[in-house]
Amino acid sequence: MARGFKHSLGIRHLVCGSCNGCEHEMNALTNSVYDITQDGWDIVASPRHADVITVTGPMTVAMREAAQRTVEAAATPSIVVAVGDCAAGDGAWAGAPLAGDGAGVELAAAVTVRGCPPTPAQIRAGLREAARRLDGKTTSGKSALER
Amino acid sequence: MYREEAVDAALLGGIAGRMCATHEPLGAYAGAHRLNYLFVDRNEVVRLTADRESPEISQSVASEYPLFDWHEREMCDTHGVALAGLPNPRAMFIGAGEVPAALTVEGKGVTVIVVGPVHAGIIEPGRFTMSSGGETVIHLDAQLSYSRRGVEGFLQGRPALAAAWHVSRICAACSVARSWAYARALEQLGGVACDERSEWARVVFAELERIYNHLFDLASSAAGAGYGYGQTRGLGLKERAHEICNAAGGHRMLFDAIVPGGVRAGTLRDPEDLRRSVAVLRGDVVSYIDELFGNRSVTARFEGTGYVSPETARAFGAVGPARRASGGDIDLRSYVSYGAYRARPPALARETGGDAAARARIKRAELFESFALVDGALAELGRHAPPAPATVEVGYGAMTTVIEGPRGTESVSVECDELGVLERVHVISASYRNWPTVLRAMEGNIVPDFPLVNKSFNLCYACADR
Repeated sequence: MARGFKHSLGIRHLVCGSCNGCEHEMNALTNSVYDITQDGWDIVASPRHADVITVTGPMTVAMREAAQRTVEAAATPSIVVAVGDCAAGDGAWAGAPLAGDGAGVELAAAVTVRGCPPTPAQIRAGLREAARRLDGKTTSGKSALER
Repeated sequence: MYREEAVDAALLGGIAGRMCATHEPLGAYAGAHRLNYLFVDRNEVVRLTADRESPEISQSVASEYPLFDWHEREMCDTHGVALAGLPNPRAMFIGAGEVPAALTVEGKGVTVIVVGPVHAGIIEPGRFTMSSGGETVIHLDAQLSYSRRGVEGFLQGRPALAAAWHVSRICAACSVARSWAYARALEQLGGVACDERSEWARVVFAELERIYNHLFDLASSAAGAGYGYGQTRGLGLKERAHEICNAAGGHRMLFDAIVPGGVRAGTLRDPEDLRRSVAVLRGDVVSYIDELFGNRSVTARFEGTGYVSPETARAFGAVGPARRASGGDIDLRSYVSYGAYRARPPALARETGGDAAARARIKRAELFESFALVDGALAELGRHAPPAPATVEVGYGAMTTVIEGPRGTESVSVECDELGVLERVHVISASYRNWPTVLRAMEGNIVPDFPLVNKSFNLCYACADR
């Protein structure tokens, strides 16, 4: 665990047109190898309980409104973490007719985890970065924290 | 084998309907120039085609064969095809505007429960509307397409060979099966045969994909039955399967492992070493399965839950383990037989119970068979990695290929011009084929069993939505 880190994270996952590869790796965070509950973290069922919203996918026309409303419903302070190249805006489907600019770009993610998909260890590192920023309240980019 | 049969547009629906009696229907799609109804028979994919621009309006087949419902609605939605007598003319895909109203049951004492599109777990988006009387679900409506990126339109106009990278990323959970179907389509258009060692390597990748998916299904079914230990242990084994995938193909979900012409260069460098890791995983999977199926309180929850009759499975077009759990006897690996499965056809897993228990037993049997197939295929490779992929030159033509993925029939249809550029690519996934059956499976079950019923199929959304 990172030194000085005190934050226990409630993580809410939001899928915006992902191929489900990132979801397999998000799920892996809960398996016995990565077991994020040991870090005091948990996947929570509602954005109201969340410190972190992880977002995946290029964003789709059909998900845009539901995604915005989910992020707006999150507790304050909270932070958006983009997981995967699609969410970062240059994945396999960037430029597809019904795809957007990347879920992380559209939802103003403060932390971006690269990969197609990123490994569970990379996602965990991104979540640690989110925890540090929440602790220090030093967000870069427009996150829900600044609202 | 692949056969194309051109017919009169006015007769298309009637002929397609009659074909259902002798062939297994695969669905339908609007091509660049023609309407296509797809079927599969032993060793053969048949494409029934008619001119799209013909003023004669074709008759819908869905009123008689509900499995065509989604396929025909999609043709009308996305390609402006006008079919007469479409039983369910609702829009198939949602856009930026209003989401279409769900089909619900009206009556005294009926409660309508809506969940989604954002779900409580790490799940893809979809809106489910349950009409229930007390605890019992009378009707379940699903509104998918929240993951719709427009991948087919995006790929149109791209060189077919370069698009393989994108095809591998339409949906992660069935990436290997789809890449294989796509590779076979291009190889057949280019007149190239994949070499024998690469065919064995493809079996390794496809069966590893089946192993991690079936483990996920069993772990998720355990979760649906409230058996947390079974979920935790299953997910731990799935993690080890992903690590084996990474060692075998350089990617935890084997993206790009199968490419046109063979398998990606640099994969399966040490088949013998891999064989040892797979054998160790198999031992632990056997012990897990003994424990899961030996737990009476878990199997009791599986039994009778999410029942699908053989008639329903056939009428609504269920494929793969879902169909074989309801008496179906088609596994494309042995039914149409392709690649190295010709030399080593897998034993057919078949059950007649039609419930979550039967689907779990199918996956248990298929897991063991997959381990045997991986071991045998790696033994064929011996101490040597497969060769670099052959050069494929894609020319003019149309082709549909089918592969048995973890959830059943994965098909890819491609139409290319003289330069090997995609004029049309159409992907029909096993999940797309199975979703209508999941909705029927929920009828008569209690609301809290939705996770168990759903996870006993464990379908994807990304490949269904595209």
